[in-house]
Amino acid sequence: MTDPASNLLPATNEDTCGPYFPIFFADPGLEDLTKFDPGVVGQAAGTSLVLRGRVLDRHGELANGVVMEFWQANANGVYRTPATEGHADIDPWFHGYGRLRSATGAYEFRTILPGAAEGRAPNITITIFSDGINRVVTQMFFDNQPGNEADPLLLAVGDDAPKLIARHDGRTSSGAEVYVFDIVMAGDGETPFFDDLES
Amino acid sequence: MGNQGRILAIGPTDNTSDQRTPRQRLRLIPEEARSSFVPVVPARYATTPHEWDMTRTAPDRPRADGVPIEVTGRVRTASGRPVAGALLEVWSANHYGRYRHIEDHSGLQLDENHLGLGRVLTDDEGCYRFWAISPGAYLARPDIGRWRPKHIHMSLSGGSSRLITQMYFPGEPNNATDPMAILMGDAFERNIGRPREVGTADVVQAFDFDIVVGGRNATFFE
Ligand SMILES: [Fe+3]
Repeated sequence: MTDPASNLLPATNEDTCGPYFPIFFADPGLEDLTKFDPGVVGQAAGTSLVLRGRVLDRHGELANGVVMEFWQANANGVYRTPATEGHADIDPWFHGYGRLRSATGAYEFRTILPGAAEGRAPNITITIFSDGINRVVTQMFFDNQPGNEADPLLLAVGDDAPKLIARHDGRTSSGAEVYVFDIVMAGDGETPFFDDLES
Repeated sequence: MGNQGRILAIGPTDNTSDQRTPRQRLRLIPEEARSSFVPVVPARYATTPHEWDMTRTAPDRPRADGVPIEVTGRVRTASGRPVAGALLEVWSANHYGRYRHIEDHSGLQLDENHLGLGRVLTDDEGCYRFWAISPGAYLARPDIGRWRPKHIHMSLSGGSSRLITQMYFPGEPNNATDPMAILMGDAFERNIGRPREVGTADVVQAFDFDIVVGGRNATFFE
């Protein structure tokens, strides 16, 4: 994005979502991607997992009132986008977009283990909205996955790579593998965040 | 556009901004990973028919206190393409500056006729319309006497477009001292609704608020 094309419309500024993102807008179907919709027969293919963690502030306190969004490929490593419409490896019972709002800053998200997209290790893109900040984005990986050591994003963050890797906590929960991933918004142990406007 | 990521600014005198703003420069995304950073929100939206009218809690209920307004606008990407069929989620305080949110402990007056929550979809041209009560400004930081100016929160999602923003009102005394407005600088003007002629007897004021979703997010799949 080096061309400052002057014919582009100036974008509306993003703004903080503030402390009161409406719980009213919660959608249970977006908090558990293993089921296509609650009460509907239709199961996403792949290994079910529970992703648990905390969003922490600069003082190590839970960042309350956060909105988290998740974006991932299906078990075959294919993202459901306009570009993959009609792709043979699309899972009809998986769209890959999740959203939840956590009152405390601790979260639990149910999904399936993403497959590896071409040239990538399995990962989940996480977007965070909260009081005081505009949208920030990062990407999360899974420990002991083949491909982690060659993933271009993990290589790009160098020594900070371990901060982007969720660890299996050695347990299963109702048949789902449990992974733990904390996000540190600022300060010591800060999670690497990415600039999707400038890159 | 340099070859470095941005350093995010911290909102002045804002506690959560200080506690939650990343201090490190944002990292650039390697080319091979770019497309994976563009979520595509599926069209699985829930709205009920009366949600566009936030001036009452239900069609058979009285109007909430305060000034009823109409907000209309068009949603486009930076290249000018209308964002059709997108979900606009709207939330705002009542006339007294109080949110009907379980975590709003301000003690300001609730209004039995005000919910302050609405959802609408953009049409084929990217246009939207809703009614709301002109929100009250509220004292966000009693400890330092800082007010938040009147504003309406909006979250927009649809396809690869994603934005959370706020619409402000022209000429409000607290606009100049708002930490988020200060961070926006001159660009704050883009986030102010433009007053326009009222076309119906059902509202007292009307505003246009066109939204442009910028950045690679909105344009990657164009
Ligand atoms: Fe607010």
